[in-house]
Amino acid sequence: MAIVCLGCVVPIVMKGNEYYLHIYIICVINIILASSLRAIATTGQVSIGQAGFMAIGAYTSAILATKFNFPTYSALLMGGLAAMVLAALIGYPLARVRTVYFVMVTMFLGEIIRLVLFEWRTMTGGSTGMMGIPRPEAFSILGILQIDFSNRFQFCYLALAVLLLILLALYNIERSHFGTVFAAIGQEESVSSSVGINVARYKVIIFSLASFFTGLAGGLYGHYMTVLNPDSFGTFASLYIVIYVIVGGRKFTGPISGAIILTLIPEIFGGLKEYQPFIFVIVLFLVVFLLPGGLSELPDRMKPQIRKILKRGFRIA
Amino acid sequence: MLETKALTKNFGGLCAVNKLNLSIQAGEIVGLIGPNGAGKTTVFNLITGFYRASSGEILFNGKNLVGQKPHRIAESGIVRTFQIAKLFPNFTVLQNLRAASHLFIRVNLWEAIFRTSSYRRKEANGLDHAMKALRFLGLDSLKDEFARILPHGHQKLLGIAMALAASPELLLLDEPLEGMNPKEVDRALDIIAGIRAQGVTILLIEHNMRAVMRICDRIVVINFGQEIAKGSPEEIRQNKDVIKAYLGTSENGN
Repeated sequence: MAIVCLGCVVPIVMKGNEYYLHIYIICVINIILASSLRAIATTGQVSIGQAGFMAIGAYTSAILATKFNFPTYSALLMGGLAAMVLAALIGYPLARVRTVYFVMVTMFLGEIIRLVLFEWRTMTGGSTGMMGIPRPEAFSILGILQIDFSNRFQFCYLALAVLLLILLALYNIERSHFGTVFAAIGQEESVSSSVGINVARYKVIIFSLASFFTGLAGGLYGHYMTVLNPDSFGTFASLYIVIYVIVGGRKFTGPISGAIILTLIPEIFGGLKEYQPFIFVIVLFLVVFLLPGGLSELPDRMKPQIRKILKRGFRIA
Repeated sequence: MLETKALTKNFGGLCAVNKLNLSIQAGEIVGLIGPNGAGKTTVFNLITGFYRASSGEILFNGKNLVGQKPHRIAESGIVRTFQIAKLFPNFTVLQNLRAASHLFIRVNLWEAIFRTSSYRRKEANGLDHAMKALRFLGLDSLKDEFARILPHGHQKLLGIAMALAASPELLLLDEPLEGMNPKEVDRALDIIAGIRAQGVTILLIEHNMRAVMRICDRIVVINFGQEIAKGSPEEIRQNKDVIKAYLGTSENGN
């Protein structure tokens, strides 16, 4: 709850500074990507092709809005659905491959999507990319409430609303029977199927749903940036999402903290943008060695320490 | 209830199960015994769809199961346990049971995302169902312990509880008594008898001959994938082929 309030207040504080607002929106999009990837990972699989699904969402939404005059909001939704349909189609064959094979197949899938965007010039603009993607248009509810997400400050709240809805859905799934089933599959597939769980089906369900959210994040990205280029969606982009999750940790809050920290670090060290992979690897190593459970374990680990310090403090007093 | 006709499984050139004809009537406890490597667990894997039969048929209530996926077979009412207690180690005992109650709960994704009242009712029913299975096995006091830290005997019982939570008609127990001390064995035998009293048919693999003789209505002995004898415990005790297969050890050994 406190985090939700913080998420609402932060853009107001930063209202004057366009650069901070930009980082805020990128943070929100990265949290969606990382939380979706973690949802897939609960079934024991790590996809290195999620940037591909993000690209599908971004390009579908952008093409529908620019070339077919779709309203931005329905274009966004269609972008998510396109990513979901693709995930569902390849999900069944994909559910049969495990571990390193799953990683390889998803990686090549992401790369194939990027190449298609690169080559399909008439639709996607190829390597020059797409330009002039519209910001969401203003609309009114029942003629009373004017809602407009078009400038950067307002867009923060659209992104935040999408993020909160997605996190709520993921959270409800996680604490429901579905969460139990996904975690069961992640631990022992043979036991799962022996008690009647259709392992392939549940893997496809979470993979498709997570890809829907990833597609939405892509759509948001496109309508925010107003320009798109296939190079933003390469294997490195997919790997970054994986790193957010590893650095953040296994808990539900893990990918949130991982995405925020790793989006902020390169920005704090301003001029180091070109060294981003290098910085990520250093952070990754630090976390893996010092905090194997990820950043989300930090509060639990610090509790006994803080208690000790408090006790000692009182003794001295 | 369950019938296998000339069930055969080859692994490359090795014939693990050879033209096996099993027949199990509803309400029975049938023991499947034989020396190590005789093909007993392979039979379980065939019946539950983890392996695909090379030839032959598996009829369950008249329906052929060959080629069906494990989860489909569990759904039609055959549930197994595993020889080495296979569980969800990072779940608590109760979470293990909740996962195993999957066939009972039946919720869809939208209900779960929106937490509708029907969803919460189903979830509560699922919890009751899981707790009932736990209480039946006497594990309810351990419900919040992690499965991985349980002693071996309790892990075995938890495996049985999970199989029961899937509401089987036919329960396949793979060495349910393995590694248990005599006191635990007595308790497990009571539990198995109790499961049968609920109307569940049982096929079990077990090396503890004294226990097998005590609890089974009928026994089937296999060796090198072939049936070498079947009959009541008394008949099996007298059977020359069985004694030969076990080199006489089981007679006075166990």
